[in-house]
Amino acid sequence: MAFSGALQLTDLDDFITPSQECIKPVKVTKKSGKTAAIKIGDDGEYSQIGIDGGEVKLEKATITLNDCLACSGCITSAESVLITQQSQEELYKILNSNKILLEQGKSDECKYVVISISPQSKASLAVKYKLNANEAIEKISGFFKQLGASAVYDVAQARDLSLVESGHEFIRRYQDKETDKTALPMLASACPGWVCYAEKTHGSYILPYISSTKSPQQIMGSLTKDHLGGGRKPDQVYHVTVMPCYDKKLEASRQDFYDDLYSTRDVDCVLSTLEVDEMFKREGIQLGDVIPAPLDSIYGRQGSAMNHPNNGSGGYLEHVMKHAAKEIYGHTTGDLKYKTMRNNDFKEVTLEIDGKVELKFAIAYGFRNIQNIVQKVKRGKCNYHFVEVMACPSGCLNGGAQLRPEEGVTQKELLAEVEGVYDENDATLECGSDELDQLYATWLGGRNSDKALKMLHTQYHAIEKETNALGIKW
Amino acid sequence: MISLQSIAELEAHSDRVWSVSWNPSGTLLASCGGDKTVRLWGKEGENWVCKYRLEDGHQRTVRSVGWSPCGKYLASASFDATTCIWENKDRDFECIATLEGHENEVKCVTWCSNGSLIATCSRDKSVWIWEVDEDAEFECESVLNAHSQDVKMVLWHPTKEIVASASYDNTIKMFKNDGDDWSCFSTLASHESTVWAISFDKTGERLASCSDDKTLKIWQEYLPGNTEGVATVGSDSAWKCVCTLSGQHPRTIYDVKWCSLTDYIATACVDNAIRLFKESDCNTDKNQPSFDLLHTQYQAHTQDVNGLCWNPKIPGLLASASDDSIVKIWQVVEK
Amino acid sequence: MSSIPNAAEAIDQEIIYQIYDTIKDIKDPEKPETLEDLNVVFEEGITIEKIDDESYGINIEFVPTVPHCSLATLIGLCIRVKLYQCLPFKHKLRINIKEGTHETAAEINKQINDKERVAAAMENPNLKELVDNCISEPEY
Repeated sequence: MAFSGALQLTDLDDFITPSQECIKPVKVTKKSGKTAAIKIGDDGEYSQIGIDGGEVKLEKATITLNDCLACSGCITSAESVLITQQSQEELYKILNSNKILLEQGKSDECKYVVISISPQSKASLAVKYKLNANEAIEKISGFFKQLGASAVYDVAQARDLSLVESGHEFIRRYQDKETDKTALPMLASACPGWVCYAEKTHGSYILPYISSTKSPQQIMGSLTKDHLGGGRKPDQVYHVTVMPCYDKKLEASRQDFYDDLYSTRDVDCVLSTLEVDEMFKREGIQLGDVIPAPLDSIYGRQGSAMNHPNNGSGGYLEHVMKHAAKEIYGHTTGDLKYKTMRNNDFKEVTLEIDGKVELKFAIAYGFRNIQNIVQKVKRGKCNYHFVEVMACPSGCLNGGAQLRPEEGVTQKELLAEVEGVYDENDATLECGSDELDQLYATWLGGRNSDKALKMLHTQYHAIEKETNALGIKW
Repeated sequence: MISLQSIAELEAHSDRVWSVSWNPSGTLLASCGGDKTVRLWGKEGENWVCKYRLEDGHQRTVRSVGWSPCGKYLASASFDATTCIWENKDRDFECIATLEGHENEVKCVTWCSNGSLIATCSRDKSVWIWEVDEDAEFECESVLNAHSQDVKMVLWHPTKEIVASASYDNTIKMFKNDGDDWSCFSTLASHESTVWAISFDKTGERLASCSDDKTLKIWQEYLPGNTEGVATVGSDSAWKCVCTLSGQHPRTIYDVKWCSLTDYIATACVDNAIRLFKESDCNTDKNQPSFDLLHTQYQAHTQDVNGLCWNPKIPGLLASASDDSIVKIWQVVEK
Repeated sequence: MSSIPNAAEAIDQEIIYQIYDTIKDIKDPEKPETLEDLNVVFEEGITIEKIDDESYGINIEFVPTVPHCSLATLIGLCIRVKLYQCLPFKHKLRINIKEGTHETAAEINKQINDKERVAAAMENPNLKELVDNCISEPEY
């Protein structure tokens, strides 16, 4: 079961690379009856010969995504299980079965298909098809609706909730900092690559510092399955997100986001930006030619593309800093000054009041900067209050599943273009709104309700190192 | 006639010795190995004695040691996945920092020529660059995943900020700072098995490498616009194998060291022997040099020879480390 | 001319027996049988060459139980450690999988003949326990 090579796709550009091959011992469920022999057929299939001479084909042992997540062996998202279990094929399967059910007059059995598009994916596609951000997302919306999707949302709306909730969490942690040594620094949790790495290699040292607020994708998942389905049960809604990195597939597959009662996930399928572009090719369309369709809104009105100020990775630092300055110090900050530190992926923002540094935040992108933060936190030497951590260098706009540059264009040039489109409509939105407050009230029964905790927060789990000697890769 | 004269046999390690390293002034020799300790040897009168024993830094084998150019710090790399930095404080060495991050065995640690950077490598296939700041704090500057296998050794260029690495994937790679991050600019492929060690000559224009394929190779640097017409990319130089020495070593070669004072190349081999090579006097074409085997010290040790180090100040003074748990000091004698 | 083996050959054969005796009772990491029971090791797979008066070069070929056996590296590790611990004379050991008997033989051969990897593996407490268990002397 050599994961690297066969299962590790070469063009899958993970920035946290696998260090080992898969060492997960495979569990095989024993078929009943005594085995006399195992036969290998000409086709390479294994059969079990019982003592009575009967022959039973043996199932191939497979490693599921959950096995990967539960294993401390490698820290990668580059496992092809991700690609097979969550791919455009799965979406097509659902859409086709919907079509057949419709023809059979069983429309009530059709799945309600919801697509949620990340702003980073939108920006990447907009650049390739030379559209502006608004055009792009409405055309992507039109594309999915033509295919049979019932609703298309902008993940930025869920991000609004994620940011607001992160702001509240920060205030709470800040207030607890004297009594709880793991309250600060608060480390952002929106990047699943980072969370997965922390769980697999740093466990209990680091996990308490990671913000419990769910990522935009998973808040979108809660909304879709619990609130936006129009009364449908969670398993009647099929929720697809479009994301800039493969790690989001890992995130969607976490046990924490699985509904045992209905055997369904908050996000059923994650498509990468690249895979959506593959779908365009398969359908033989140019995005520019698609008839646009308006976006849906989590507030039940027509939506429009939105964005949060400052940076392609969600703007967590930006919002938490502004919120904390206001809530803790009654201070309204203007534009934040990002000071580049060791490299372009490590920046610092401070809040100074009367010449005194009151709050010190940082952005740490890419594996090397994550290392330094993690080691400092472990040693109790991290003097930041908040760190926006992302696994990819340059953050989410440079995610591993974003479209590749065309011939003659460098990665850097492409990234600059994508950033340009991304920032087009960002001036408008400050975090939170009256609409959002209403959503808290109507959907969650208030800001600090049990339901709000369940829908907007999650947990992390340290993963034990492999101790089965048969499985240790040396 | 060239020969090796045994100067001292240093016995104190209780297990295999993996590596030896002279401090920059040539007065202290550090050795490390399977007994998880580092020992520092110096001369008292005419005798070589163990002056310091560095314990409690590592939980597993100490695979290699490297001195800072100022001689004040010693780094030790261990199978316990950490690298310790030891500071010479008056009469003692104290562990002042532990570099963590590698996932498993750290195989080698080395300081760059101006002392501001450290490189480490590991079975986890990565090469890490660490920055040393004024307060002797160490921060990760880059994590390089260019190799597809276990990285056995890292080595800085004698003058430039270039780091070379040797790997179980049979290649040698060179890395440089690209502005905001480090990247691999050259891959030296020619060995047919694990490359165990590499050594630059004093100019940094040549590199010697030794391998499990029983050969010793010499690589030549070609700058952009070279008159030989060797293709280069951008402002990076190209490295080409200009000499392969095969037939002299019957088994795996674990270490190679090119002396910057005498130009001798010494090799450490599984056949218990130390060999000395030198470029032939009659060489006129740097693109096709030949090297002569000048001396073979059979039974230099009673078991595999693992590591070597030329004294940086005393010409021809060589230290060796072996599975027989003994460290030896030799003098090249020319007569 | 005589067909009776000369003294040197007899000594060589003696040493091969000694090596074989040392490794034949190593237990398979997963099964209760020994490497001899499973025909993983056999006398003909052992060849030696005299290096000097004190030491021998030893080559051992073994055959994994199935061509994709995932434990071939562990078997190699056990053979190496057992010989290191038990042989009373100095030796340079090379272990190889018999040609054509394993899908990734080259990869495994490289790993089990890399003494640094072997040394590091034996410092992993879980691996050490497994190997110690496999190479412990059988109880009669």
